[in-house]
Amino acid sequence: MLAEYFPILIFLAISIAMGVILLSMGGILGPRSPDSEKTSPYECGFEAFEDTRSKFDVRYYLVAILFIIFDLEIAFFIPWALVLDKLGVFGLIAMIIFVVELVIGFFFVWKKGALEWE
Amino acid sequence: MPIYEIVFYFFSLVMLGAALMVITVRNPVYAALSLVLAFFSASAIWLLLEVEFLAIILILVYVGAVMVLFLFVVMMLDINLEPLKEGFMRYLPAGVVVALLMATEFMLVLWTKGRFDTQAFPVPAPNPDGYSNTKAVGELLYTNYLLAFEVAGVVLLVAIIAAVALTLRQRSGSRRQNPAMQVRVRREERVRLVQMDSEPRQGS
Repeated sequence: MLAEYFPILIFLAISIAMGVILLSMGGILGPRSPDSEKTSPYECGFEAFEDTRSKFDVRYYLVAILFIIFDLEIAFFIPWALVLDKLGVFGLIAMIIFVVELVIGFFFVWKKGALEWE
Repeated sequence: MPIYEIVFYFFSLVMLGAALMVITVRNPVYAALSLVLAFFSASAIWLLLEVEFLAIILILVYVGAVMVLFLFVVMMLDINLEPLKEGFMRYLPAGVVVALLMATEFMLVLWTKGRFDTQAFPVPAPNPDGYSNTKAVGELLYTNYLLAFEVAGVVLLVAIIAAVALTLRQRSGSRRQNPAMQVRVRREERVRLVQMDSEPRQGS
């Protein structure tokens, strides 16, 4: 079975080699004559005003975290869907309980207004 | 099959190196990217063990979602790292104690079971053709490990509630639209018709 993944291994080796070759060739062959103006940070001709990092609204993280949780939930569906015909009603009920647990969470998020954007 | 060993040692070395980079590199963005590399190498090793489903889920969930969130936080948030490094010497004794305890526990588990002896645990026989790891996971997860599966659902529910409780802030002073209210508005709420007699011209 592992032999089926051999093309991916070749693909991986070639892409690593390409990355190393391209970067090292650029580093070896390219002319390099840095001066203070070239290496200074550049922002449309004037000095940078402030740091790149800034205060961010925590709502963005809330959306991202909720995405990850429901992403994980979807991951549980894949093996279930493959073997559902073997599991029968038992598997169906097992998944219904699981989904109900998460639907409770979904309604909690909804009713709390966490999905609303102001 | 020497290529198996070559691939295994390659990915193991990359994973160990990347894991070391995570805790030694100064720039937190590089640390997060090293963690991505460590996850990827771990996924490759799992693939060598023929657990395809977990390997692909590791890439999809951890590399695809969790690490993107980490990178997002590290790159966007203004975390000043200097105050975080200040208490290093003060917390060093507690950290060393915890690290030693964990190392001892690992060693006890591994030694008492004889896990360092590779002869005791030979390489498992390769799976026959048509074997589906995903189906095998499904057949066990929803029958033998049903309780663990449902508990995982509860843990996810707790995670949802915790995320909302930690990050939800009611912002005061923001003007938000309520489309339902906008549609339901009546003429009387906006326009006031006033009946009044005509008044004589003033100042004449």
